[in-house]
Amino acid sequence: MRPRKGNLSFLVLIAAIAMLPVLTSNSYVISIMCFVAIYGTLALGMGVLLEHAGIFSLAHPTWFGLGAYFAGIVAIRGIAPAWAGILIGAVCVGLIAYLIGAPLLRLKGYYLTCASFAVLLIFEITFAQFSSITGGHEGLMGIPRLTIGTIVFRKDIHYYYLSWGLCLACFCFLYNLMNSRIGRAIESLHDSEVASSCMGINVARFRLLTFILTAVMASLAGSVFCFYIRFTMPTIYGFALLLEVLTMIVIGGGKKLYGPLVGAFIMIWLRELLHGLMRRILPVMTSEVDAIFFGIAVIVILIFAPHGLSGSLAAFVNKYRRSA
Amino acid sequence: MTSVNCNGQEPLLAIENVGKNFGGINAIMSLNFCLQVGGTVSLIGPNGAGKTTLINVVTGVYAPDRGTVHFFGEQISGKPAHIVASKGIGRTFQLGEFFDSLTVLGNAMVGCHTQGRSGLIPCGLRLRSAKREEENVRETALENLRLVGLEKRAIESISQLPLGERKLVGIARALGMKPRLLLLDEPAGGLAHHEVEKLVYVIRTLVNRGITILLVEHNMPFVMAVSERIIVLDRGLKIAEGPPTEIRCNPDVVRAYLGEEY
Repeated sequence: MRPRKGNLSFLVLIAAIAMLPVLTSNSYVISIMCFVAIYGTLALGMGVLLEHAGIFSLAHPTWFGLGAYFAGIVAIRGIAPAWAGILIGAVCVGLIAYLIGAPLLRLKGYYLTCASFAVLLIFEITFAQFSSITGGHEGLMGIPRLTIGTIVFRKDIHYYYLSWGLCLACFCFLYNLMNSRIGRAIESLHDSEVASSCMGINVARFRLLTFILTAVMASLAGSVFCFYIRFTMPTIYGFALLLEVLTMIVIGGGKKLYGPLVGAFIMIWLRELLHGLMRRILPVMTSEVDAIFFGIAVIVILIFAPHGLSGSLAAFVNKYRRSA
Repeated sequence: MTSVNCNGQEPLLAIENVGKNFGGINAIMSLNFCLQVGGTVSLIGPNGAGKTTLINVVTGVYAPDRGTVHFFGEQISGKPAHIVASKGIGRTFQLGEFFDSLTVLGNAMVGCHTQGRSGLIPCGLRLRSAKREEENVRETALENLRLVGLEKRAIESISQLPLGERKLVGIARALGMKPRLLLLDEPAGGLAHHEVEKLVYVIRTLVNRGITILLVEHNMPFVMAVSERIIVLDRGLKIAEGPPTEIRCNPDVVRAYLGEEY
């Protein structure tokens, strides 16, 4: 069980997130923070899957993409109100994750990793090929603004509160869960499935439960993402997104629940800052040089924080407490 | 029902003609014995005798290739480990198999998993029922840690504990399942003398609480101190069974395992 410390820090964080739009009216900052929340939600679920349950599935960006497509298609075709598309997407993704996860999770180790990577590629191709529904390679355009009742989400600030609301709700849910019998069962899977099953834990059931739960969270983040950028295309949800999310987990450290959120924040802001800097120094080939410097920055972070920033922070706090 | 004779009583555990192969190697060959309720029975034998394999067969980690295992008259052989555990069979592991990402208390609380009922939503939303259950589980886990003398180390990471204390955490974890039968796989292995003495006390306390113990161990003074009956295995076969005084003098056991100097 993880000791329940840091409730005050969490309240301070919520207050800071709530106050940010009051402190700055810079739409660029608000927009980047929306992406931090959306990608953070995605990384949060994948962090639980990889680092807490020990299920090395790479299909996570697929659930994000499916959530985006379901919500986008429902909204464009007027099948249901736009907000209902988010829920429809979550339910459908949960069902698809169940149907795929039940056979997939019988595999372990590299076999599971390879099979889940195949799922990622298959869905990316499917998004591109079913052009009559998904818009094909050109993508799904003209996604209407999100409306909930009479509230129309027009501005960045609306999506800021929506995306951070979702992110913090997912975080709180997972935090409570990981501090309960279900969370302990999930954690135990990572260390020893044999010992878990001998403690009465149905290993297959808990692996599938974690897989579906984190897929649904990714779907919700994907739906908000599609309404925010009002556009979606297959390549967004492929290998590049997988690498980004994995990098967020590695930078932030997956052992702490908040690690992937820290990773999302650092990675997105670092990339933006480097891009801004490089554009001034090297106006041509900015993105290529960006990638090199970004890679170097990630390596430097990992040299000094091999367990991710959250792991190093926790180690520092423990050391400080012992010396105090 | 089982055909194994257990002094005319319904056995707690009945092993009937159980066999287990790994490739061409017979780890266990047609093993028969039974346990009655209460007391400590030890399973001894040289390395490779099939002791741990038998524990794995009883707890559902392995399905036997032949024979059956009955627990209180119900056939449990071939059933998944989590179902066997829910019937009231707890165990510890030779190599620990601890949950290193959890604290000592967390490990003990995982053992209480079958005592809880709260599902995903009550746990995720921390509803009152889940909260109450969590408090009860914490109390039970702390009580089990108190029994093995480790409640003061509850919030430490299990990886910070020495081997002897980790093994005691393994017992506290298994007690969370409220087992009727507890299988201990080499609990004294690698322990210092004072730690073994503590283990003897813990085992006697558990027996007094009505838990039946099947002990796999190489530390013979410890085995002799806690066992009412000893079963000796050699290369997958039972070569002797009886009280400690009888086993100590059995020439087959002396030749196969104990040695002349014992």
